[in-house]
Amino acid sequence: MRGTKNGAAKHADRRPWILKRLPLLVWLVLVWGALWQDFSAGNLIFGALIALAVAQAFYLPPIELSGRFNWLRGLLFLLWFIQQVMIASFQVLYWAVVKGPRIRNAVIAVPLRSPSDLLMTAVGHVLSLIPGSLVVEVDRGSATLYVHAMNAPTPESVAKVRQGIQDIEARLIQVMGTKEELAAVNAEKAGAPLLTHAGEPQP
Amino acid sequence: MLIVLCAHFLVAILAPILFARLGRSAFYVLAVVPGSSFIWLITQYEKVYSETLPGPALDVDWVPALGLHLSFRMDQLSWLLCLLVLGVGSLVLAYCARYFKSGDAGLHGFGAQLLAFAGAMFGLVTADNLILLYVFWELTTVLSYLLIGYARTRIAARRAALQALIVTTFGGLAMLVGLIMLGESAGTYSLSSIMAKAPELVAATGGARTVLDVGIALILVGAVTKSALIPFHFWLPGAMAAPTPVSAYLHAAAMVKAGIYLIARLAPGFSQTSYWQLMIVVLGLGTMLLGGWRALRQHDLKLILAYGTVSQLGFLALVVGLGSREAAMAGLALVLAHGLFKACLFLVVGIIDHQSGTRDIRILSGVFKSAPKLGVVAFIGAASMAGLPPLAGFIAKEGIFQAFLASAAYGPAGPVIGWTVMVGMVAGSVLTFAYSARFLWGGFGQKSRGMAIAFKPVGWLFLGAPAVLAVLTLLYGLLPEIVERWIKPYSAQFPAYDPNGLHLLLWHGFTPALGLSALVVVFGLALFFWRKKLEILQDKIPPVIDFERGYRQAIVALDMVAIWVTGRTQRGSLFFYLSVILGTAIAAVVAVLLLTEQTWPADIYLLDMESPFQAIAGVVIVIGAIAAARANKRFTAVLMISVTGYGLALLFALQGAPDLALTQMLVETIILVAFVLGMRSLPPSMLQRGAGGHRILRMVLGVAFGTTMVVVAIVAMGARIHDPVSLSLPKLAYEGGGGLNVVNVTLVDIRAWDTFGEISVLAIAATGVASLIFVRGRGQRLPRAETVETGSIGKLPTETFQATIHLAKRFAASRSNPWLVAGRTLAPERRSIIIEVVTRLLFHSMIVISIYLLLAGHNGTGGGFAGGLVAGLALTIRYLAGGRFELAEATRITAGTLLGLGLAMAALTAITPLFFGGYIFQSAILSFDLPIFGQVKFVTSTFFDIGVYLVVVGLVIDVLRSLGSEIDQHEEDGIGGMELIEDDEPLEVGQ
Repeated sequence: MRGTKNGAAKHADRRPWILKRLPLLVWLVLVWGALWQDFSAGNLIFGALIALAVAQAFYLPPIELSGRFNWLRGLLFLLWFIQQVMIASFQVLYWAVVKGPRIRNAVIAVPLRSPSDLLMTAVGHVLSLIPGSLVVEVDRGSATLYVHAMNAPTPESVAKVRQGIQDIEARLIQVMGTKEELAAVNAEKAGAPLLTHAGEPQP
Repeated sequence: MLIVLCAHFLVAILAPILFARLGRSAFYVLAVVPGSSFIWLITQYEKVYSETLPGPALDVDWVPALGLHLSFRMDQLSWLLCLLVLGVGSLVLAYCARYFKSGDAGLHGFGAQLLAFAGAMFGLVTADNLILLYVFWELTTVLSYLLIGYARTRIAARRAALQALIVTTFGGLAMLVGLIMLGESAGTYSLSSIMAKAPELVAATGGARTVLDVGIALILVGAVTKSALIPFHFWLPGAMAAPTPVSAYLHAAAMVKAGIYLIARLAPGFSQTSYWQLMIVVLGLGTMLLGGWRALRQHDLKLILAYGTVSQLGFLALVVGLGSREAAMAGLALVLAHGLFKACLFLVVGIIDHQSGTRDIRILSGVFKSAPKLGVVAFIGAASMAGLPPLAGFIAKEGIFQAFLASAAYGPAGPVIGWTVMVGMVAGSVLTFAYSARFLWGGFGQKSRGMAIAFKPVGWLFLGAPAVLAVLTLLYGLLPEIVERWIKPYSAQFPAYDPNGLHLLLWHGFTPALGLSALVVVFGLALFFWRKKLEILQDKIPPVIDFERGYRQAIVALDMVAIWVTGRTQRGSLFFYLSVILGTAIAAVVAVLLLTEQTWPADIYLLDMESPFQAIAGVVIVIGAIAAARANKRFTAVLMISVTGYGLALLFALQGAPDLALTQMLVETIILVAFVLGMRSLPPSMLQRGAGGHRILRMVLGVAFGTTMVVVAIVAMGARIHDPVSLSLPKLAYEGGGGLNVVNVTLVDIRAWDTFGEISVLAIAATGVASLIFVRGRGQRLPRAETVETGSIGKLPTETFQATIHLAKRFAASRSNPWLVAGRTLAPERRSIIIEVVTRLLFHSMIVISIYLLLAGHNGTGGGFAGGLVAGLALTIRYLAGGRFELAEATRITAGTLLGLGLAMAALTAITPLFFGGYIFQSAILSFDLPIFGQVKFVTSTFFDIGVYLVVVGLVIDVLRSLGSEIDQHEEDGIGGMELIEDDEPLEVGQ
């Protein structure tokens, strides 16, 4: 799928209507084919007509994508995600059965690197789907997630949770972040400090 | 004949378009319809009066099994009345074009109703079937209700309209019973056959005769209410709240004559039935005197005429109902004369009112000097009403006096009754003369005190209609022999009392009748000159019985009873309602179970070991139900109820019913959304009012009902002795309905009628919900998002939510990257970027899925209902993410339009097969080859499913807009918000 870089948003407006919608239309046609489990030309053409009608009838602003998508990283991320969900499920089960109401939870501010709404949403979903953590609030301006985490009694464990979430973000940047963000993540691996969008993490 | 009838109703339907284009001049176009019908009527004269030619008639089967035929027949009596109905109708419509202003509200509806009324009247007097007659009868009642209530915003007009409706409908219902009794005893509902059979029917004795007598009496009750005879006369003066043209047409020439017509129609055959003479003479004479007496007290010109009309109607009923050849002749002569002069006078009053702004005779002064032409017209009308030569009224009254003199001398009732009636009638005529004089003096005279009132000049077009009527009145008086020729065939059906016969003449010589006329003039003049003393006398005599007050008291009593019954049954206690409903259900079912023999199925087992998930679903449902019952927060309770619903969906899925499971899931979700939206304005915790007292009872009731249902299910299983009908459904569905999904084909094809009824109910329920919540009209579109300031919707109070707002402000400050159309309109503290992004990503896909479900439903899981619900959910998340302006952006078509479109689509699918020689809801399977697409199979019942889809989407939008947007708006406006309702007990708000 192709998209637009953030900086090119103004240029994008000059493209014809259909091109601006192309990612959406292609996606909808794929959905249509998948629903019917039939990717024959006839069905896809019919699907394209319906997709056009739907996109025309219900206008929504075009999505700004980052411009890159690494399929391999995506696959790896998916496997990693499933693994995390399974581990965390048993962990939460253990806490619930053994510790019960005695565990201490925390609401943690997690500043992110990227200001992209899409990435922020993806991170929020991933960590909410992993049992034990949940997004309660988003500060869009400073790209900060406020996360409710189970069993985080000490400052160390809080820092660990925060780091874990920033790790999720790094993985997602590797999959679908912009080139600049990817470069920053790679630099971190080489020892550079983590630069959040809002500057220093707030307590 | 059919053309005349249809033209009236068709043009009435088109009238709004005419008014939109032509303004008030459209009345001229409308007037052409009865006008040209009038000309047609004149051309039919030969046929109607010929001995040999058959009269114009029409007979179309309607519901032959019930004896209903659309049969019309024009005989001489119908022809005479049509003269009035069409002629006066045309003149009044033309008059309206100058009476109203182009800008008057609701003119198009008014014009349409008036024209339709003319059509209904025409149908009424030509109908040859009793039931058809009744249909037109009530049609005139309803139209008259609408016409009297023309001034929608005036409470007096509405009340008068309602009063007229209630009184005349009461009579109409009595009449319906009477008509059926008459029809059944005659064995036919054809009016002409009944009249032919009349002598035979009247000759019957015993029970048959009693049925006939009572039936005729009941029909007379209908005639009495319609023609405003006592004790029902009061609605007519009340109906003067109508615009004057309506009064002129309905209350002088047409509608009130319907009762007279009915009497005239039945008189040849049935005037000798037991109650006829009693009712006619007592009520007719009483009405004549009462109306005249009251007319002399009025100060409103229109009311003088109204009471005058009441009086004249009594007079007419008396004469027409007498049943002698002379009376019939004179009676119909008066019907014509009265129609002419009374309509003329009403129109004159309309002009006076229009030009001077008042109808009060204490204010009006010197009008004659300002408008002499109008004065002359009014004089002719009033003189005719008073019975002065050489006008129509004189001719008729002379004839009547002569007829009643003959009746007193030779009639079967004997001289005592005859002369009593005679005296009463002369007294009534004296009153008539006096109020005619009062009308002229009051409307036109130069009063001793006060100056001449300002009076705008009257245009010829405006004056045209009453002037034509006045000229006709004069012509009638000068050429009475023409009228006599018109009436003769009708009156010939009666026995003659007077050996000399009666002729309508201007000059009979010095006869006793002329003497009586002279007497009337003398006494009338005397009453007029001593009017001051008369008024004082009238004030001293209290009304013996005030019928209007009786009516009002009856209505009040009815209201009281209704309030009492409602208060006893609709107490606003959910516990009470449920106890009654469930208790009745338990009692009825248990009684049947105990009283009849039951076969229990052989193999009852508690757990299905082959399907362990069933047990899990069962446990989930049980936990959900118990938790819902024990919850003390509304929100928790609703969530727990949803748990039971989802558990049920799981059960369906496990039992191999994916369609049911899918639908149940979606419905559950939509209900949850609606609940949560609705609950926002209720206090969060439930009131545990009186829980302690009824707790045990509630539990017992709940457990008992549940147990009963289980037992019923088991017994029902055991009761089966034949193969279930569902076994053949798959085959039927594929061969007949062309689909593999049995559930869907059943819904849209096999049981399409059921579904049609259900979506109609759905549309009604949606409309009901909307009208309960909406203060403004639902039809209007929501304002677009661009009209709204960014971040202005749903702001939180600053002082209590400091931190939230502080955080949120930065949201707005963030770089603009819109995910939704109207997300920016929400206050920043209400926004959630995650939901906005997800909504953006999911919305179009959900719509595509909903379309897939709609189209795939015929063969696979899905269908219009499920598809509509998915589309509704897609709109729901748009609303939740972006607020009410987002919803407005997503749904540019209003809910009402969608509901209407859906129903129309379903209805079209229903009737289209008729045009191809099929039957209603028959579906066709179209199969064809297309180049790229290959073989395409299309079943027409898909259109029906699309209708269902649209209705469901419309319903969801309605729920979102009323429970969501509209409550948002209320809370922002501070009406009916959380604070207001909290101190009150929510269930009693509606009381």
